Amino acid sequence: MDQEFHIEERASTSPPVIAVCGEIDVATAPQLRECLHRVIAHGEATVVLDLLGVTFLDSTALGVLVGALKRCRELGGDLHVVVADPRIVKIFEITGLTNVFTIADSLQAAGAS
Amino acid sequence: MTDDLLATGDRIALRFPARGDLIVLARLVTSAVSARAGFDIEELEDLRLAVGELCLLTLQGSDARTGDLCLELTVLGDALGAECILERAAPADVVGPENAESARLSEQILGALVDEHGRESQNGSVRAWLRKRPAGHAE
Repeated sequence: MDQEFHIEERASTSPPVIAVCGEIDVATAPQLRECLHRVIAHGEATVVLDLLGVTFLDSTALGVLVGALKRCRELGGDLHVVVADPRIVKIFEITGLTNVFTIADSLQAAGAS
Repeated sequence: MTDDLLATGDRIALRFPARGDLIVLARLVTSAVSARAGFDIEELEDLRLAVGELCLLTLQGSDARTGDLCLELTVLGDALGAECILERAAPADVVGPENAESARLSEQILGALVDEHGRESQNGSVRAWLRKRPAGHAE
């Protein structure tokens, strides 16, 4: 059974970390969009998105990530994506997004502290 | 396990209200059918993602709040075919840039994961389809 969708904000870290678990699809992506927009609107130009607990993501989720990345870059920051599951990495690869996002395989590598 | 395999010509159909949150049903059915059609675990994951994208592509640009999405999976001789149809689809009021980006990504995902795919709309209906052959059957 897949893990239930869940978002956790860790605003005390620098840069802030948003950790997601479960499946990010057309049904759950709006929650992630709202969370990312809120954190970025709060003045955080750089955000770490921890997808280590994500078991599935679709094009809707990727669209949300691309939108958030644009917002971060407009503010002079970046969106660091942390992903290790080969199935999830593959989705970034086949869409060419490994060349767009800063992708790390651990929170440490993404610069979250 | 062999007894569980589907035979050429077998069809599995699923009809559900055309809501994004129900596309998970299409993915679940696709996983079960793919496993019984001789696909390995990696191909099964590819098909699960691809059929979800097929459903999204069918809904793209349509106001589907009143329609049903019909998914039909067919075991072909050397492939699995999936067809997704949305009937009586009214155009969406607004198609935002994020939706356009998602549609572009859907096309990329399908292009990478399946052997053939397409989308057509006619007389208010939208039809999207794909075919994927298991490893060893690639042309």
